[in-house]
Amino acid sequence: MELVDPIDWGSVIEQIDIEFGAGVTKNLLGNRVPVTMSRGSTKIFYAIPTDWMSRLIDTAETLDIQFIGKELGSIDKGRFRLSLHILGEMTELTESCIIVSRRGAEAFTYGRSIIRESVLELNTSLVRGQRILVLNEDRECLGIASLSMDASKLTRMGADRLVAKNLVDIGWFIRRLG
Amino acid sequence: MAKKEIRQLAKELAKNHGYLQYMIERYISLWGEEDTLKFIEACEQPIRTSIRVNTLKTSAGMVLHRLQKKGVRLEEIPWLDDGYYADFSGSSPGASLEHMLGFYYVQGVPSMTAVSVLDPQPGDTVLDLAAAPGGKTTHIAQMMKNTGLVISIEQDRQRMSSLQSNIIRCGATNTMVLRGDAKKLDNLPFKPDKILLDAPCSGEGLIPLDPTRKTSKTMADIRFCATREDEMLVAAVNILAEGGTLVYSTCSIAPEENEYIVDDILKRYPEMHIVQIPSEFGSPGYTDPYGIKLNESLKLSRRFLPHLHGTEGFFICKMMKKEGNTT
Repeated sequence: MELVDPIDWGSVIEQIDIEFGAGVTKNLLGNRVPVTMSRGSTKIFYAIPTDWMSRLIDTAETLDIQFIGKELGSIDKGRFRLSLHILGEMTELTESCIIVSRRGAEAFTYGRSIIRESVLELNTSLVRGQRILVLNEDRECLGIASLSMDASKLTRMGADRLVAKNLVDIGWFIRRLG
Repeated sequence: MAKKEIRQLAKELAKNHGYLQYMIERYISLWGEEDTLKFIEACEQPIRTSIRVNTLKTSAGMVLHRLQKKGVRLEEIPWLDDGYYADFSGSSPGASLEHMLGFYYVQGVPSMTAVSVLDPQPGDTVLDLAAAPGGKTTHIAQMMKNTGLVISIEQDRQRMSSLQSNIIRCGATNTMVLRGDAKKLDNLPFKPDKILLDAPCSGEGLIPLDPTRKTSKTMADIRFCATREDEMLVAAVNILAEGGTLVYSTCSIAPEENEYIVDDILKRYPEMHIVQIPSEFGSPGYTDPYGIKLNESLKLSRRFLPHLHGTEGFFICKMMKKEGNTT
């Protein structure tokens, strides 16, 4: 575990803030310090309280740390993927989201993508390729998707057309653990 | 009852109910014939499902309301703040949206009780040894309101992923997960205020949940587990801060893995003493199992038994380390 490289951190801030709004990364970090761990070619980013840093600075190398604090996400092949750990917080920090019907929510948590007929609300300023939070009618975050089209074109789409591709959803907890 | 009689009775009961004979002999020696029969019968009954409301994500009121709307019947567990018996009427407790959102954790009553006995407070530094799959780690994090530091140690790579998944699902952000041997804690740069050692054990108490345990372990397995448990407990005692609290628990019925282990620790480490558990549950630990006299204070420890409490078998002992030089 080590303090995050400023260039890496700059890339993380850029990727999160561009898609989810300026200042989101700063709010996610709060008064914590970003640290990173490598797993093969993937770098995982965590935010930990500053007083942990002073306790760990001389000993982190002797400990086999697998997970620490708040997991923000990971970078693999240059692309930052948000962790499920911060979804709840993200809901309060961003307008980049889609609200889906009960049926759409259930399908999404089974790993399916989102079709037009499931969409209840979508911010019309969002664009194709942008990552968005997927919320149910109670505004609970179910995961993250990638828009397949510009949000402004939603009303012209047929009911069964793909609106957003599932990137990660909370059904992963069941699928992973069985 | 004479030994020959015990053996004869045990042979018959073991054959009729699918146990290894030595196990029934031990139960008869420990409890007598009547309670052994009750135990065997109780192990054929399903254990009630129980959940812990995860207050890191939501309130008990919210979860209860949502689950009751879905037809789940809930009943408070008197000595647990956030623990409930939950009858899901055949549907899977782990498949609900509320579970995916981390609103509750499906957890056994004795396991929840072990953390409740530890009583971690906001700001504490707590060590959870043999932590996977994370039920107790996340419970500790919840009781600490995501403050302080929970250090979870797990050696098994495969179980590690379930530990991390549950930490993420439950929204615990005050944890540090280390891969390592819980018998070797010397290089930890922390002196924990509290330690929970829910030790890997023979698992004999889990027969109601897993009937294969009627025949899967021998006395050699129990002795092996006991040796390992002793090593882990010694490591925990050595790293515990003065004035700190250590809760030792297992899901074994065997006194060799429970009272004998603690008794030995009390002899070797006079700075450790057993303390009263303030809440009412279970039954007292044994002070003379099989006629072997142990430290009287073991009656302050607690046991859960299938035939007395309707749960899986479990042992919980709360100890404290005295402050200052006591040797």
